[in-house]
Amino acid sequence: MDQQGAGGDAEVPAGLGLTAAEYEQLRSTVDAHHRYAVGEGQCSSLLAQRIHAPPEAVWAVVRRFDCPQVYKHFIRSCALRPDPEAGDALCPGRLREVSVISGLPASTSTERLDLLDDAARVFGFSITGGEHRLRNYRSVTTVSELADPAICTVVLESYVVDVPDGNTEDDTRLFADTVIRLNLQKLKSVAEANAAEAAATTNSVLLPRPAE
Amino acid sequence: MAEICCEEAKSTPATAVAAASVSATAAAAAAVAVASSALERRRRRLEMRRFRVAGDPEAPVAEDVRAAKRQRLARTLSSTCPDAGSGSGSDSDRPALPERLPRYGVTSVCGRRREMEDTVSVRPDFVPGTSKQHFFGVFDGHGCSHVATMCQNMMHEVVADEHRKADCSGEETAWKAVMERSFARLDEQAASWATSRSRDEPSCRCEQQKPLRCDHVGSTAVVAVVSPTHVVVANAGDSRAVLSRAGVPVPLSVDHKPDRPDELARIKAAGGRVIYWDGARVLGVLAMSRAIGDGYLKPFVSSEPEVTVTERTDDDECLILASDGLWDVVTNEMACEVVRACFHSNGPPAPAARANGAALRAAENGSAAAKGVSVEDSDKACSDAAMLLAKLALARRSADNVSVVVVDLRRGI
Repeated sequence: MDQQGAGGDAEVPAGLGLTAAEYEQLRSTVDAHHRYAVGEGQCSSLLAQRIHAPPEAVWAVVRRFDCPQVYKHFIRSCALRPDPEAGDALCPGRLREVSVISGLPASTSTERLDLLDDAARVFGFSITGGEHRLRNYRSVTTVSELADPAICTVVLESYVVDVPDGNTEDDTRLFADTVIRLNLQKLKSVAEANAAEAAATTNSVLLPRPAE
Repeated sequence: MAEICCEEAKSTPATAVAAASVSATAAAAAAVAVASSALERRRRRLEMRRFRVAGDPEAPVAEDVRAAKRQRLARTLSSTCPDAGSGSGSDSDRPALPERLPRYGVTSVCGRRREMEDTVSVRPDFVPGTSKQHFFGVFDGHGCSHVATMCQNMMHEVVADEHRKADCSGEETAWKAVMERSFARLDEQAASWATSRSRDEPSCRCEQQKPLRCDHVGSTAVVAVVSPTHVVVANAGDSRAVLSRAGVPVPLSVDHKPDRPDELARIKAAGGRVIYWDGARVLGVLAMSRAIGDGYLKPFVSSEPEVTVTERTDDDECLILASDGLWDVVTNEMACEVVRACFHSNGPPAPAARANGAALRAAENGSAAAKGVSVEDSDKACSDAAMLLAKLALARRSADNVSVVVVDLRRGI
């Protein structure tokens, strides 16, 4: 992405919503996973979402290639395409068939799992088919823990995609960013609710102890 | 099936032409032929739903109805004679009849969409303590059906409640306020659906999500309140209400498309954008600029309705409410022609069908003819019209659910 210079002191990308200190902690992640060779007739974008939940709780939701509707809007249903060799395992090459809710400019999407790194918490997928206008769409999502100025989790999601005929880069970025921003907001709600529920469970287990 | 549908689609314009250029009898015969063969095929091939109020509210006045029927039958027969003018001579002898409920027909079809997300609401005499106010609504849901279902179940009650609070005597400004508050209340209900839904409500996909959040579900709403003197229409979204007056379509609502100049300006002023992504869409996502629900697109997608109050006239023939599954493929003119053809096939011709040269005689005969149409004929005409319109939309390859309400506004019924 042009807006992120190769130089050491690049500013925080506009609209990302992160402070310079936060972005500094994420620089290596951005350099490693969120840079694309953007060709002619393509556009790219990077979005961020702060989430007040442990990174492992957020990652547990993000990595569900088989069940994106847990945190993504607009999904009517999702079916993993059967793979005799892989069985239930989620590994690169798996395909899913997503059906989209009504009222949107899309009805189906065929998506391929490109990357699932549990150690680094990196998830990547691309869209390989379906009825929609996003051609050659490729996306990466990372889950990072920040310690400064406060402990929190930051999810970064980036993508590169062709600009459809008749639309501008701005149009394409607006459409894709709108959908991703809504999904990240929902991810925040889901992960924070899950974390609160887990904490409540832990407390209830611990409560009887003082009585002993 | 597509070929048969296209063939039927071709015959309908011919019927319309016939209605304008040949005798009433021939036109009626043509319409009957089209309607009966089409209905037979439709009955076998389409999933149709027709909504009708359980039990006829007119039953308690059976004796009056029977008396009225005899007089109407006689008048109908006389109106087909060369000396039809004699019919008007006996008008003064006819006893006053109680105000009738409007006759209507309803059809809702899933069509080519994967799921049915349209709902229709018909509520005769819906305002407690006062009669002669009748509610009709078409709601085209998107994202899921629960907002449209909520509107179907609650909109008439909310309108009646706001009407009572306003002590609405019929002024245009009063009705505008009633409708705006009603739509706002339904919009709030949609927003809080996730947290407040009752256990007995039918479940939908959204229930499986946790935590529940349904900001991306919404519905159009086109609502009509018909009284003996006025038709009030409130609309948010791209469903539509059209009045047929002396054969001329009169739009009672204007579709809320994002590229409508004033809507585009409003959205931009609010900081939003409209881009063309399979048509004009708010943020490239939603193809309408107003709707109940869709919290995630506020304030760009507003639930504020546009309200019209139209005084009824003797020239009024019918009111058509329908979702965009119909209007995207059928013009206002064509829809009015189809209803007119069905009315012809179920009774004497409407006044506007007369030649211009016989204006005075047309007025006289038209009045008598209109009064001669019976309740049963009107019921059938409205039902036929609604079904035929839905069939026409499917034949023209509408890609959406189709819901149609046809209300007979002819005086004397």
